[in-house]
Amino acid sequence: MTADGCGAPAGGVSVSTVAGSLGTQAVVEGRVTLQGEPVGTGYARLLGSGDEFVAEVPLGDDGGFRFFAAPGSWTLRVLAPGGLRAEQAVQADYGQVTKIEVAL
Amino acid sequence: MSRSDVLVDADWAEAHIGQPGVVIVEVDEDTSAYDKGHIPSAIKIDWKKDLQDPVRRDFVDKTGFENLLSERGIANDDTVLLYGGNNNWFAAYAYWYFRLYGHDKVLLLDGGRKKWELDSRELTRDVPERPRTSYTAKEQDASLRALRDEVVAAIGKRNLVDVRSPDEFTGRLLAPAHLPQEQAQRAGHIPTARNVPWSKAANEDGTFRSDDELKTLYADEAGLDLAGRDTIAYCRIGERSAHTWFVLHELLGLPNVKNYDGSWTEYGSLVGVPIELGEAR
Repeated sequence: MTADGCGAPAGGVSVSTVAGSLGTQAVVEGRVTLQGEPVGTGYARLLGSGDEFVAEVPLGDDGGFRFFAAPGSWTLRVLAPGGLRAEQAVQADYGQVTKIEVAL
Repeated sequence: MSRSDVLVDADWAEAHIGQPGVVIVEVDEDTSAYDKGHIPSAIKIDWKKDLQDPVRRDFVDKTGFENLLSERGIANDDTVLLYGGNNNWFAAYAYWYFRLYGHDKVLLLDGGRKKWELDSRELTRDVPERPRTSYTAKEQDASLRALRDEVVAAIGKRNLVDVRSPDEFTGRLLAPAHLPQEQAQRAGHIPTARNVPWSKAANEDGTFRSDDELKTLYADEAGLDLAGRDTIAYCRIGERSAHTWFVLHELLGLPNVKNYDGSWTEYGSLVGVPIELGEAR
């Protein structure tokens, strides 16, 4: 991703777009399912302390999402049609890909 | 100008699907969402391909905007209802852009694509055909847009509202946390800017907060002198700050608010300008 873009594509930006190594990135990624099936319509939100909004991506067709956070503790919140929602604590660190499975 | 003149809800949009004189437009940077399903009768505008000059870093010029709207079948007297993903960032940018070129009958759909999806409203893949029009734009309204020299001169004199996330403001991140972090620019913020992230103006479903909540947010919590000083909003590329420009200029009706679309990708690359790191001082 370059400076001429800012939006969040469905599922999140691919790690293959990262220039150089992942050592300078703190990746949080995962998948959202409902009764074992991927949830392709919905939103993953990354929140800081006090529920401070950090970022949001629409879920991909496979229910996937990805963030490139700062290192630290975050909350992941998922919103989906029908009032479905879920929340999980997340830890992010440079050079690590933190993987999360969310079942609604 | 009041909220009901510029912002409509999904029921209004649903009632106006296919109505003559109303053109629904989905705007986004990545238009693949439109291709997979959009509000019935909606056409699309690609924020990058359609609204940005392919060579220079700038808007398409007046002739380019006229050609775009004519080709999409939008007439001068049409009411244009804009919506999009990313909590309406790019739709708000397009709203600001339409106003820059003098199209006054323009509305934003509260909550945009997200609320429409979360409410499980109808989406279609059918792409409408609209007959070509002969659209005439006005000259750009310079009172809505801030350029870099004006921004540097505004340090300490006007309200500078940095609407990026706190981590981008303080310099911990160079881009929103859904993007890989670049190394090309300097991190930080424009001195004297206050950080009021765009997200504070929106509810979880993407709708705007109430006028009273918004006034409290900018005047009381952020301490901005909205009555006594003119305001410039900026972010990273100008689309999140278009969301805040919409709040301040259109919803709250403040007269002298500009969007600095060069934003941090320009300011953070300028040689010799002052930069502040950390919290606001």
